[in-house]
Amino acid sequence: MIQSTSGPKTGETFWLWFLKIITGLFIILLLLIHFVVNHFVAEGGLLTYADVVAYYRIPIIPIMEIAFLIIVVSHALIGLRSIILDLRPSRQTLTAINWLFVVIGIVSVVYGIWLIQVIVAKGSA
Amino acid sequence: MSTTKTKWNVNFKVYRKKGQNPSHYDQFTLEVDPDEYVLDAIERIWAFHDRSLTFRHACHHSTCGACGMLVNGVEKLSCITYIRDVVEDGGTLVIDPMRNFPVVSDLVVDMSLFFDRLEMVGQRQVVPVSDETIGDGKKAQSPTNGKEYLRLSDCIECGLCISACPIAATNPDYLGPAILAGAQQNGLDRKPELLQIVDQENGLWRCHSVYECTAVCPSNVDPAWRIMDLRRQVTAQRLKRLFR
Amino acid sequence: MMSEPSRKSGISQAIRWFDPRGRDIGTIAFILNRITALGLTFYLFLHLIVLGQLAQGAEAYDGFLATIRSPIYIFGELLVIAAGLYHGLNGIRVGLTSFGIAVPQQKKLFYWLLAIAVLGSLIFGIRMFTA
Repeated sequence: MIQSTSGPKTGETFWLWFLKIITGLFIILLLLIHFVVNHFVAEGGLLTYADVVAYYRIPIIPIMEIAFLIIVVSHALIGLRSIILDLRPSRQTLTAINWLFVVIGIVSVVYGIWLIQVIVAKGSA
Repeated sequence: MSTTKTKWNVNFKVYRKKGQNPSHYDQFTLEVDPDEYVLDAIERIWAFHDRSLTFRHACHHSTCGACGMLVNGVEKLSCITYIRDVVEDGGTLVIDPMRNFPVVSDLVVDMSLFFDRLEMVGQRQVVPVSDETIGDGKKAQSPTNGKEYLRLSDCIECGLCISACPIAATNPDYLGPAILAGAQQNGLDRKPELLQIVDQENGLWRCHSVYECTAVCPSNVDPAWRIMDLRRQVTAQRLKRLFR
Repeated sequence: MMSEPSRKSGISQAIRWFDPRGRDIGTIAFILNRITALGLTFYLFLHLIVLGQLAQGAEAYDGFLATIRSPIYIFGELLVIAAGLYHGLNGIRVGLTSFGIAVPQQKKLFYWLLAIAVLGSLIFGIRMFTA
């Protein structure tokens, strides 16, 4: 019986693929919002440090930007993993990549949340 | 009636590989009738120039799927490829074996794994007319006199789609267009165990919507559409299961 | 026993993903999608790192903003926008067809989305370089 013994279980992959498409869809929406508010809402866009701090004082903004970050990082890492899978990695390589990407994902999101918190703190100083 | 048939002079660069020796190209210049097929020219090369040239061919009318090869880098069934469609008088035709299969000898590739997989998904060679589709998902119309009409399945198992697929190039575990199309044609409802076979990392989810398979298929299988249709079915099944 | 014929696979063949010779338009779509994906991922992490400058206060950040007004950076940003436009629009096509929607029209859909991406990039380019 011809089986792929080096890959994940049946069904597991479906959800990752499905997530890639769903996150892609949300990125289109969030990116539009992110781009518009960063460049057009404030007078002439966020041109200075002070502008950014003021922007992050609006309560919905940190929430929106963190959600955007999580979604983009997920989409990027699932996509990169997909490209690697096209190269038929060995089971060990794939397991290592899985862990590496989870770490990169968590670190990126934690870093982003920390950075946003720093800006928000500056705004309420 | 006497007509002076046009004759062209065409150079053929044919891929050669024997055993473990490195591959190379042999050149043959042939006088050909441009209305002949590429396979005719290859046969003449074998017959009159080099009896060691190995190639597959059988029906010569796009039914058996044996003569798939690359003609100037594009997947073709050489028995139905007019010489005038792929080259001009004085031009060069580069003939290579199909990609993404191991080369056995010259233009012959090892298709055993391909055939095993087709059997695994139950690719049917003869199907009821009402089971087959005629491109774009439209179902073929069976005559309405109550009899079950059968037809030969569109897929002639030539392997051109596998050759054209960029994912099959890097990942030999990928089932590939022909196999996934065969699974779709067989039907998840007819054979539920197909779900396990296609819904895996190297099954449905390795396709990246390149659509080359449909572009090179000589037989109206439209494997890309079938892969997307299978995805639709599997997605619907999985989501339904979640919300049951 | 005859030795099994083998075929190359994996990374050594990956360069073939990017070879459009003899291929149809779908391969161009795939090549561009993969290239923009890699480019945008690189930009994503670059963007995150660079924004760390914000944490270093007003002088660092405003100083940084002054640097990126030069034409090279603006051109780089235009590439990012073009990549994002293409990847997003083609992504719509991939997403739709992956759910079995509009598959017979996928080629036509691609040409329209490509046109929008190119047009959008041109408009952005003109705005960014004449501002």
